[in-house]
Amino acid sequence: MNVLIPKFEEENPGYKVNAVSHEWAELHDKIIVNAGSDSLPDVARLDIAWVPEFQKMDILVPLDKEMSDFSEVSGNLLDSAMSTGFVKGNYYAMALNTNTKILFYNEQALADAGIAVPQTMDELYAAAAKLSGTNAAGQQVWGLNEPALSGWNILPYIWSNGGAITNEDYTKASGYLNSAATVDTVKKFADMYKKGQFTGFNSGDIPMTDGFGTGRYMMLLEGPWKTAEMNGAYPDFKYGTGNMPAGSGGSHSVLGGEDIAMFKGGNSEGAWLFMKFMTSEFAQEEMAKCGQIPVNKTALESDTVKNAAFAPFLEAITTAVARPPVASWSEIDNLLSVAVTDIIVNGADAQTKLDALAAQVDTLLVG
Amino acid sequence: MELRTGRNKRQVALLLLPGVAMFAIFTIYPIVKLFFMSFLQWDFGSMLSHSFVGLENYKAVLGDETFRIAFANTIIYTLVTVPGQMILGLMAAVFINAIPRFRVSFRVIYYIPVITSWVIVSLVFRYVFNTEGMLNYVLTNVLHLTDSYIAWLDTRWGGLSVAMMLGIWKGVGWNMVVFLAALQSVPQELYESASIDGCGSIQKFFKITLPSIRPTILFALVMLTIGGFNVFTSVKMITGGKPMHQTETVLTWMYYKAFNTGEFGYAAALSFVVAVTLIFLAVLQFKVMKNNEAN
Repeated sequence: MNVLIPKFEEENPGYKVNAVSHEWAELHDKIIVNAGSDSLPDVARLDIAWVPEFQKMDILVPLDKEMSDFSEVSGNLLDSAMSTGFVKGNYYAMALNTNTKILFYNEQALADAGIAVPQTMDELYAAAAKLSGTNAAGQQVWGLNEPALSGWNILPYIWSNGGAITNEDYTKASGYLNSAATVDTVKKFADMYKKGQFTGFNSGDIPMTDGFGTGRYMMLLEGPWKTAEMNGAYPDFKYGTGNMPAGSGGSHSVLGGEDIAMFKGGNSEGAWLFMKFMTSEFAQEEMAKCGQIPVNKTALESDTVKNAAFAPFLEAITTAVARPPVASWSEIDNLLSVAVTDIIVNGADAQTKLDALAAQVDTLLVG
Repeated sequence: MELRTGRNKRQVALLLLPGVAMFAIFTIYPIVKLFFMSFLQWDFGSMLSHSFVGLENYKAVLGDETFRIAFANTIIYTLVTVPGQMILGLMAAVFINAIPRFRVSFRVIYYIPVITSWVIVSLVFRYVFNTEGMLNYVLTNVLHLTDSYIAWLDTRWGGLSVAMMLGIWKGVGWNMVVFLAALQSVPQELYESASIDGCGSIQKFFKITLPSIRPTILFALVMLTIGGFNVFTSVKMITGGKPMHQTETVLTWMYYKAFNTGEFGYAAALSFVVAVTLIFLAVLQFKVMKNNEAN
């Protein structure tokens, strides 16, 4: 920010950027409150999952309609990342940076067990089974960990096993959320939980980073931020990273990241200049230096990016899938996590639960 | 009599103004606004234009399965923690009142939990009751009472019990201070004459102490009931409503509905359902205590 804003102001005399930073967790609520009191900024960086919500609130500018050079600018950015700004036929945001989750594993544990890094889902399950049990100190260890059971956590497994949450247009869940592939995936995890091979989402469980760093959780899916977390908390712990394992549906991790969007009623000319600047090669390379994975195709080819700590994530990003960009996603996500918890923890029947959930989600998708 | 002069009245009004203004802006106005919000459709789809929906939000709250669980959890929390705190607090007060020395030290010791941050003690309780926490370590590895760790926090009743224990532990000190002040105002002569009449200490406690501090008991009861309904931080920190919203309380559920799913109309209606319940309970408590007094 100390580099980018002065540079923008230098290139665009007459514009002054008044940057306000917020706690990430508060930003979502802050924007909702601002919308209510008509005091929105011109531009904001948004979680990709918020764009449909804010679009529904009617506070975002449809960029492809309003900006004549939109396609020129968007053409430089990754399609998968730009898809996060596309809601109901128009683009309401530009992709800014992206991330996804890949496999993190305990190097020593895999070597001791003589297991190669899992490349497929079957190998992952087999490795999780083999790595679970008790360690030398007599403590229980688990092969696979997830800190929660929301879409962000379970969708990579469901997608990679050929399952889905909705159809491609995000209009129907029945036949997808309760398809054989989705049901089988959830059943598999219920089975692994029962056998003590999978845990981490109960209130009393060991937190993810601690469990991984102390050798209690052997494998997990995590994003680029994990590297810094592990360096800080467990600098001596040896771990490796691998691709998101592939199943019958391919290798599909979940897409995360941020978009930059323009709010209605502001200085649209200046806002658009700033958005173009932030998605330019220069700004994107600068952000890459701070650990943000760029979406600008030229910046992605640069040496800064190729040598960055997040290099292992670049391949997974090309096949990662975004969570359904629908306004009711947070509600759907909540119902999904409740149903999946019931199946995995309480042993509820997967087919029955997901049939009921699919019908419920159908009505949410229509509304 | 000077107060009656016009100048003094103006002065009094001037001095009261800041307090009244703050109260109006930060308490009265939000309550009124919230009341209107509870009749509007106010969610992600209608953040800018709100349509009047009558009692729909109230219907949604009362028909919501999770709200019923949250409400039941809150009632249970209040029913357990309020008497728990009062009984232990009164016992501590009677004990401290009876000892000749170290009164201040004991008061400080009992009061420390009250002034400690909710967030910090919630985290401490969480570490104690975690599946890999201190309690399981002591039970399993030190005392060898069980072979496997018990998942205290992972069930509805387990998670709630821990929150209730924390509530009681943290509240005993406040009750102790309140009851201690009341005990010290009970006239000594009553105890002396009771001794002459041959009363034992238990009889004295039930026949003299309890009736004398009745107003304090009522005060504590009302304050703690409101406090019990307001339980939020501990539950949010210890279980976060997990598993499957089974440990939500009315406030954690309201927070979830407002800030996670953006249903402000629903959340506003929910807070009014809670407020009405609290008013009803307070009136009931006053009535019961009054009747007792009359008898």
